[in-house]
Amino acid sequence: MQMKSHRPIDHIVWLFLVGMAAWAVPGGGHFLIGQRRHAYVLFTTIVLTFLVGLYIGSIGIVDPVGARLWYLAQILTSPIVGWLGQIAQKGDYFVAGRAQDYGQIYTALAGLLNLLCILNAVYRAYSGIGEVIGQEEENG
Amino acid sequence: MAELAGAVLAGLYAPVDIPTTPASLLWMFPLLLSIAVVYKTTRIRVLFWKTFVREVLILFLTLSGFMILAGIVLNLVVWLMTS
Repeated sequence: MQMKSHRPIDHIVWLFLVGMAAWAVPGGGHFLIGQRRHAYVLFTTIVLTFLVGLYIGSIGIVDPVGARLWYLAQILTSPIVGWLGQIAQKGDYFVAGRAQDYGQIYTALAGLLNLLCILNAVYRAYSGIGEVIGQEEENG
Repeated sequence: MAELAGAVLAGLYAPVDIPTTPASLLWMFPLLLSIAVVYKTTRIRVLFWKTFVREVLILFLTLSGFMILAGIVLNLVVWLMTS
């Protein structure tokens, strides 16, 4: 799926779509612009980092009320994190000490890395790099 | 396999016990690897696996070396201040 039209409004919608896809699924933006290998690597790395963080600290580390700043970084990984936050709020998941620290650092870093990927995907879509690389990858 | 899946799911509901020992700092290295992989992926224009793995490895070792050096320097500063 590649952007063929060069009308400014279409281009803005396309950039928005790429940004939203990149946020919804890590690597989704790169997948949309045809950079499949980039997308697979980014998806695997970011999801794995987030899951390791959840494994270390349990879902108790996704705390939209008690740890709002951490939560803001965590939710950059995907909107699904919001749903995890709802679950964590309903249950009683106590977490403290090193497990909390490491869990929060892992999950927040996964979100911040995904922010980098979102910006990178939108930039590549804006400059048309993705279209070129997509074709190169398909041929190579 | 079922036991492994059970352990992973249980891990999502109960935190892992990480003691406050110097060994707990080893948890830093998977993070550094993640940073190296994502950063290199966003920098490389065309992704060829061999080049990619080599570049990631170099960046990972650089980051790890810097972090170890920072740890040594900080320990030295603390030692000088407290001795």
